[in-house]
Amino acid sequence: MQPPARRIKSDLEKAQTRAGYLFVLPSFALYAVFVLAPVIVTFVLSFTYYDPMGGSQWVGLDNFQRFFTGDRSLQIFWNTLCFAIFAVAGNVTVGLLLALALNRAMPSFLLYLFRLAYFLPVIIAAAFVSIVWGYFYGDDLGVINYYLIRLGFAPVHWLTSSRTAMMSIIIMDIWKNAGFFMIIFIAALQGVPKAIMDAATMDEPSYWRRFFRIVLPWISPVVFFAIVYASIGALQVYESIVILTQGGPGDATRSMSIHIVEEAFGSFEIGYGASVSVIMTLVILIITSVQLLASRRWVRY
Amino acid sequence: MKTKAAKRWIDRTIITMMAVLGVFMLLPFAWLFSMSFRPPAEAYKMPPSFLPPTLDFKNYRAVLGSSIPFLRIYWNSVEIAVLVTFGQLVTCTLAAFAFARLNFPGRDSIFFVMLVGLMFPAQVTIIPIYLGFAQVGLLNRPIGLVLMYLTSSFGVFLVRQFMRSQPKALEEAALMDGAGYWKIFYRISLPQLRPALSALGIITFTQTWNYYFQARVLLEPQQSMTLPIAMDLLRGYLASGNLSVVMAAMSMAVLPVILIFLLAQKLVIEGVTMSGIKS
Repeated sequence: MQPPARRIKSDLEKAQTRAGYLFVLPSFALYAVFVLAPVIVTFVLSFTYYDPMGGSQWVGLDNFQRFFTGDRSLQIFWNTLCFAIFAVAGNVTVGLLLALALNRAMPSFLLYLFRLAYFLPVIIAAAFVSIVWGYFYGDDLGVINYYLIRLGFAPVHWLTSSRTAMMSIIIMDIWKNAGFFMIIFIAALQGVPKAIMDAATMDEPSYWRRFFRIVLPWISPVVFFAIVYASIGALQVYESIVILTQGGPGDATRSMSIHIVEEAFGSFEIGYGASVSVIMTLVILIITSVQLLASRRWVRY
Repeated sequence: MKTKAAKRWIDRTIITMMAVLGVFMLLPFAWLFSMSFRPPAEAYKMPPSFLPPTLDFKNYRAVLGSSIPFLRIYWNSVEIAVLVTFGQLVTCTLAAFAFARLNFPGRDSIFFVMLVGLMFPAQVTIIPIYLGFAQVGLLNRPIGLVLMYLTSSFGVFLVRQFMRSQPKALEEAALMDGAGYWKIFYRISLPQLRPALSALGIITFTQTWNYYFQARVLLEPQQSMTLPIAMDLLRGYLASGNLSVVMAAMSMAVLPVILIFLLAQKLVIEGVTMSGIKS
């Protein structure tokens, strides 16, 4: 015979189990339908030639081979990496510099205004600000070129030359996103204990040497996090390029996301599009794990 | 050793420099609002204006009177953002309550599987979603996007973390008193979550307002579009010399997010930063 206390407990456990599954169900069901299942299907599709009319075929690694041997797709791959490297470096560096500049005593209304100015671009859709920047970057009627000419400089083909277009997009990206990293770094800088800063000020009078020897190592976990986070976002770059250059001139600014949409939904190369998105996911996973491993090695916690 | 006066001088210089840079950061917004008030005939006249030359809402009326169903598009954006925000608050708090407060077999592995979702970009789910939506008739319908955004691993994670930082004595006491789990969730846990939920709600709203990639693939006819994709279309339709009208539409499109930011700067920054600190 079971002691009554035990039976009550197991009833309670049963009720708790049932409640647990019920509470999790809506979220998990939606997650399974809209994330888990699509990821698996995309993975399977990437090994097929998909044809809704005539039946699909298993083509093994053909789609991947096509991506890694095509001149065009390789350029697109390189464009994406190139954008990611410079956008991440720019965003993290500028964000850190802004944070260092703002991390000092100042009246609170000033702080409010600064956060407003530097953070506003972060929360406005890339699609909206890209349209505005499109007019700023115009060749003949562009706002920037107007002032360049007024100041006696030669106008720049911001978006219409394959040598400068990617750089122009990266500049806009830094304008838009650096404020996010600034906020994260301000929080990190304020986490540096005052005792450590005071001691450091005593035996290291140079601001920059103090920064590299003491402050930067202290906030390095946050810096590594920022780099991973920025890379994941940058590798998916889409709307700013679609709106500013449509991937041009030529293929100079075409990114993997644009390639996926064009191939899968423009030319209905579903299988090939799926394989490009699998490659993109793998790149993201590799970069994330390399950075996490590196941070375990280098970051001083 | 630096003197105090020298240090104050450095502080002031840096603050001045930051102020100048801050003005430059805001120039695109100043330009966009000012241009929306310029008469269309002078849209491309140089120099550009960074302060509204008039306060005539003619361009705004032109947007509403154009051949593009702007109000309908605006309504789509509002509908999607509002439904997604409330939906996520419900689904995420329910799941977070279970993950943070209840014991059941498989709890931690289910949570882990949901966290893995944070690593997949939208690009790797879009093709099957498109094919599936085509099958069930959800293509080109805003409600499809609502369904797809209705939960978020990040939201579940955020609320769970917050809940775990709160004491659970009250919940345990209620359980001892024989209260059901639903009642405990609704009466005790939910009111404690208010700070986390307002941050999550605001960030979900602005993010959903801004989504572009999936909307661009899944919504094709003008009637079903959201604002971010429609702006590109508007630029094509209206821009033939009509920059000012495009900027009037744009001003209306960015207004909700800017208002939210002005009114709740702290919450927005908190929410966005938290959405960053997910790992």
